Amino acid sequence: MDTLALDPVLARACGAALAVVLLTGAWQKLRDLAVFEASVDIYRLLPEALVPLFARAFPVLEALAGVALLFDTTRSAGLLMSLAVLGVATAGVIANLLRGHTEIDCGCGGAEGHTTLTWALPVRNTLLLIVAVLGGQDGSGRELLWIDYLSVAGGTLALLGIYAAANQLMANHPRLIQLRN
Amino acid sequence: MNEALMISNVLLWVAVLAALVGLFALARQIGVLYERVAPMGALMMDTGPKVGEASPVFDLPALVGNTRVTIGRPGDKSTLLFFLSPTCPVCKKLLPILRSVNNTEKDWLRVILTSDGEQPEHLAFYEKADLKEFPYVLSSEPGIAYRVAKLPYAVLLNEHGRVVAKGLVNSREQLESLFTAKEMGVASVQEFIDHQHA
Repeated sequence: MDTLALDPVLARACGAALAVVLLTGAWQKLRDLAVFEASVDIYRLLPEALVPLFARAFPVLEALAGVALLFDTTRSAGLLMSLAVLGVATAGVIANLLRGHTEIDCGCGGAEGHTTLTWALPVRNTLLLIVAVLGGQDGSGRELLWIDYLSVAGGTLALLGIYAAANQLMANHPRLIQLRN
Repeated sequence: MNEALMISNVLLWVAVLAALVGLFALARQIGVLYERVAPMGALMMDTGPKVGEASPVFDLPALVGNTRVTIGRPGDKSTLLFFLSPTCPVCKKLLPILRSVNNTEKDWLRVILTSDGEQPEHLAFYEKADLKEFPYVLSSEPGIAYRVAKLPYAVLLNEHGRVVAKGLVNSREQLESLFTAKEMGVASVQEFIDHQHA
């Protein structure tokens, strides 16, 4: 990894942005657990008996990953948990994409919660995985100045803005296709 | 020199974030635009039969059995037409609520489920979710007639076959608000509140 990736400003901005993404995702799922449980069921990957358990465990792990990424002492655990959460979610999406079961709600937060499954989702999640790896680094020991904190705050907000815009564009896409036809 | 760089840095962050907010807002507006113009065309701003108007009449085969389901004709009960899909998580969440509504309000109300799509998928959904107590209609006609763009959507018809309330339903409260709207004789609870404030 080059020195840029290890700079603490980049690492902290990535970590904080991913933590917000994970915590918001967990909150959205836990707030309306019945809907998330139905989403998991509609993915048709788990035996019916395991669906309620998975629908509860997944957002809890997601929230724990988000919190753990924020603190120095728990960062590596946070990295592992976020890789697990993102990996499982992406595997679920890819499995359904491969068998053509795509006209379902992704249940992945996204804009308005009306995102259907497309290959854009695994691409988005791969980018999130890269952000997770960067955010899970301790970074070089460079001493941070006040302007660095401004860069971390700006970088975090910028990443979140890009994420929100990308989600919105992904939600728009099926409607555009419908319009073209 | 350092001060100048810092000021330019702060200004750039403000500019980047403002541009991103603008990008998000534009993407959001494009989404709303797509929704408004699809699939009926840009000029079709009317959203189906209005409250107070007579419902279009449908006579459609039920998904299971050889019976037919009639919607919109005057009868002895009101009708709740509930648009759903097997792939809509919120619809699944509302099924137990619909079941309890169907039980408690059965003296004056019949609940009809309607959807469109492939029959095998709907049959599997019907079996799995145990929907035997509801008439289930598989046809795109009601959805087109009522201009249903988002699910779950519900239309409440009175015993004379007139639309008394309709709208997107995401929760028990929203479903019950349709009944409240009927009792109060307004199109929606929102309209009632607006009238009170006016």
